[in-house]
Amino acid sequence: MKINRRSFIKSAAASSALAAAGSIFPGISFAEWKKQESASGKINWQKAPCRFCGTGCGVLVGMSGDRAVAVKGDPNCSVNKGLCCVKGFHSVQALYGKDRLKKAQVRKNGKMVEVPISEALDVIAAKIQETIKKHGKDSVSMYGSGQWTIPDGYVASKLFKGCLGTNNVEANARLCMASAVTGFMTSFGIDEPMGCYEDIEAADVMITWGNNMAEMHPVLFSRMLASRKRKQNVTIVDFATRTTRTSQAADKSILFKPNTDLAVANAICYEIIRNDWVNWDFVKKHTTFHKGKTNIGYGTEDHFSFKDKPEDITFEEYKTFLEDYTPEKVQRISGVSAKDIKYMASLYGDPEKKVTSFWCMGMNQHVRGTWIQNLVYNIHLLTGKISTPGNSPFSLTGQPSACGTVREVGTLTNRLPHGVVMNEKDRKMAAEIWDVPLSNIDPKPTYHTVEMFRALDRGDIRFMWIQVTNPMVTMPKLKRYREGCLKDDRFIVVSDVYPTPTTDVADVILPASMWVEQEGLFGNSERRTQHFDAIVPGPGDTMSDTWQIIEVARRLGFEKQFPWGEDEYIGKIWEEYRRFHDSPKHNMAPYTVLKERSGVQWPFVNGKETRWRFNTKHDPACKKGTEFDFYGKKDGKAWIWARPYEPAAESPDQEYDFWLCTGRVIEHWHTGSMTRRVPILHNAMPESYVELNPEDAADLGVTNGENVKIISRRGDIVMKASINGRGVPPRGSVFVPFFDENYLINEVTLDAFCPISKQPDYKKCAVRLEKA
Amino acid sequence: MKQADTKLSKVVTGFAAICLTGAFMVLPANAAPGIPQGFDSDGEKIFKRYDNTPLAAMTGTDGKRTLNKYYELRQYPGSPPRVPHDVPTSFSGDTLKCLSCHERGGYDPNQDAYAPVTPHPEYVSCFQCHVPQRTQKLFVETEWQSIKPPKLGLSEMGGSPPPIPHSLQIREDCIACHTGPAAVAEIRVEHASRGNCRQCHVPMIATEIRKEFTRSK
Repeated sequence: MKINRRSFIKSAAASSALAAAGSIFPGISFAEWKKQESASGKINWQKAPCRFCGTGCGVLVGMSGDRAVAVKGDPNCSVNKGLCCVKGFHSVQALYGKDRLKKAQVRKNGKMVEVPISEALDVIAAKIQETIKKHGKDSVSMYGSGQWTIPDGYVASKLFKGCLGTNNVEANARLCMASAVTGFMTSFGIDEPMGCYEDIEAADVMITWGNNMAEMHPVLFSRMLASRKRKQNVTIVDFATRTTRTSQAADKSILFKPNTDLAVANAICYEIIRNDWVNWDFVKKHTTFHKGKTNIGYGTEDHFSFKDKPEDITFEEYKTFLEDYTPEKVQRISGVSAKDIKYMASLYGDPEKKVTSFWCMGMNQHVRGTWIQNLVYNIHLLTGKISTPGNSPFSLTGQPSACGTVREVGTLTNRLPHGVVMNEKDRKMAAEIWDVPLSNIDPKPTYHTVEMFRALDRGDIRFMWIQVTNPMVTMPKLKRYREGCLKDDRFIVVSDVYPTPTTDVADVILPASMWVEQEGLFGNSERRTQHFDAIVPGPGDTMSDTWQIIEVARRLGFEKQFPWGEDEYIGKIWEEYRRFHDSPKHNMAPYTVLKERSGVQWPFVNGKETRWRFNTKHDPACKKGTEFDFYGKKDGKAWIWARPYEPAAESPDQEYDFWLCTGRVIEHWHTGSMTRRVPILHNAMPESYVELNPEDAADLGVTNGENVKIISRRGDIVMKASINGRGVPPRGSVFVPFFDENYLINEVTLDAFCPISKQPDYKKCAVRLEKA
Repeated sequence: MKQADTKLSKVVTGFAAICLTGAFMVLPANAAPGIPQGFDSDGEKIFKRYDNTPLAAMTGTDGKRTLNKYYELRQYPGSPPRVPHDVPTSFSGDTLKCLSCHERGGYDPNQDAYAPVTPHPEYVSCFQCHVPQRTQKLFVETEWQSIKPPKLGLSEMGGSPPPIPHSLQIREDCIACHTGPAAVAEIRVEHASRGNCRQCHVPMIATEIRKEFTRSK
């Protein structure tokens, strides 16, 4: 197929001339498109998961010749049932940005020079060897992504943890999902949601906790709206720090002050106990009570470390703990009226109502991220509203394979595909499946993401390979970490599809295959594994991230561990990886089944998917003779945690008197490196802005579109004000979308994190504003 | 229906703003219990729409919408069109704001045009798929190419009813797009009173690979 190289102007002129003819000759139409000249005009549809968020919609990619030309929602995929969002419908256009990286580049005498990709791979292998020799094995690192395919993450872990023997493997999901993981581990002892999206249609009440689903998980949100319209008695409550599209569509919008969701969750539990809405039968059989350390810090200093110390407590002790959280007391902390707190408690407490809670970054990017997850689980455990259709505490993901690749494959410093590096049994299993000596796998975790970039800045790490992510836009307190990357004697490899601020700091750039240019697998929020074939031929020298790692591994002498051929490697890797999860608690579907279907949920046992885990009726891993079995914990009981309210790492004061919250918009996904190259998405949302409350804007003397300077202790940025725009923050707080590389809001944010999950809090720091 | 008809006369003569209210009910649950919703490409929808649309609203055209304009709002045949007019940047709390015009159509004096009718009013989160345009500049130039839109008039024989050239997914409601004053001139039909469109028009999706009949033993 010949690529049409006519200039846009020429084609526009031609088509407007023809447009006149169009009205005379119906049957021919002439929109201003660059059209394929020589294709047959027939479309061949092939299934794939959407490239963008963690919802995991099934799409059908329409192929004409060797070009992707259209998208439909996959009607066979139960996630979205044929509907997409505006990003999904236009996702194939993200393949065709003009500045696509097609050739490898290597820095020579300070300048990036195009080289054959094999030469770039040689350079990478040599640099890894040289760096390990000079500075030790823990001086090389891999920073991956929740957009890694499952094979990408698997081979990265195998190479770094199994072969090179360093636990320096992290992924950007640390910035996005780590608190969800530690929340599940501390409450249930096993990761990932017990429920599934069918909870949406089964629920009577849905409560979004700091989660603007109308923009961030639009397809799931439209399922919620459709269910409400159909059933007429469904209630949606938006519990948030800012008024958004979700608040507007909800039946009730309740605003709280940043970080005080902790207090409100405890107050809800207080009310549930005070009104005796506790499901005693469930609580007695299936839960135990615990407390941990308090006043646990914020991790803003280098080498910060924290280890929780769980202690058993009685129900009475838990009840006493909650006395600090009466609705009246919490009203003063949170700004949420006692009436609204009691209203939320009454929804959770009503034995006739099925309640599902949804959350994503609001609860994950939180200096007490693990705690707030524990506290929302408490509500569902006290009322027994869990693991049954419509009763679901539901942690959503933001990336297409944050669950599949990072959480299930375990591409984090402390993790292995099954279990943790600290556990000898888990290490033995990995060594056996990977065919490496047990002594290769280091029992000590090294650096979590923030600390890994600090180590790079300090010089403890000298080599970093970054794949499918853009940390030079997304790291909090960004200046420090960019300066770290640019220091002498640091070597940065970046695999990506377009130039980004991260490729700007690279010493080697590898042109990566994008999405359906390679075969791969993703795993979405509801434990659904989704296979896609290589559908579109990749341009130039592009190579899948998996194959890049395999090529480097072989250059380092690990042919034995990476023996697969290019036409079979994805299937072989999948079958090897699947061995790690060979139990009814986590069994994954075989390759042949995944190829066939529009996603399959795990645990996949005896040919059947598990919709609701821990529920004996639905989950074959449960012990027989009991209704529920929280088998992640040894005694089969889920943990209810006494976790207090503690303030954010940095709250507004006299000097820096505003809260800053960052996030996304519907049009753009993460740093916009793909969505900004989709014309309709960029045209709809061309640049970032700062949302102000109208009264604050008036005090500042700023009108819509005028410039505002946002200043924090880390940095400052000037951007346009948005007043009564997409969202409206309450007085004293501002919101900035982070997709725009021209406005690096993360130079302003703080790198404080949850001490348990090590996930940074992008939602809270203190700034002051000036009219600029 | 009487009230609606009165309003309609105003709409058609161009005096009334906005739309017919009230007459169009939420689609009730499927008439046949036990059968899943949406079978036969949601064939029920067309009958409901037919029942609820006054005949006068299925006729007449202002001739302003042409197929070319229709495709200019789309990135490829079947993609959700962008919003071609100003919308408030705020989402002011009324999720049905778009639907107040686009659920049933009608004349809008601000636009001096009839509002096109959505074939899928059951989806109410409109900005999920439809976005306005705030700039025409691109971030980076694109090498995207679309296929050509399907040809019209693909009748097999002179005078035979042409087949449906597009997928029915989310576009199963023929009356919404092919009848009434806002219908695209080139694809408007004059015989909407018949109601059972798929009695004569069958899907033959122009872009789908054609399968010839062969006998299997």
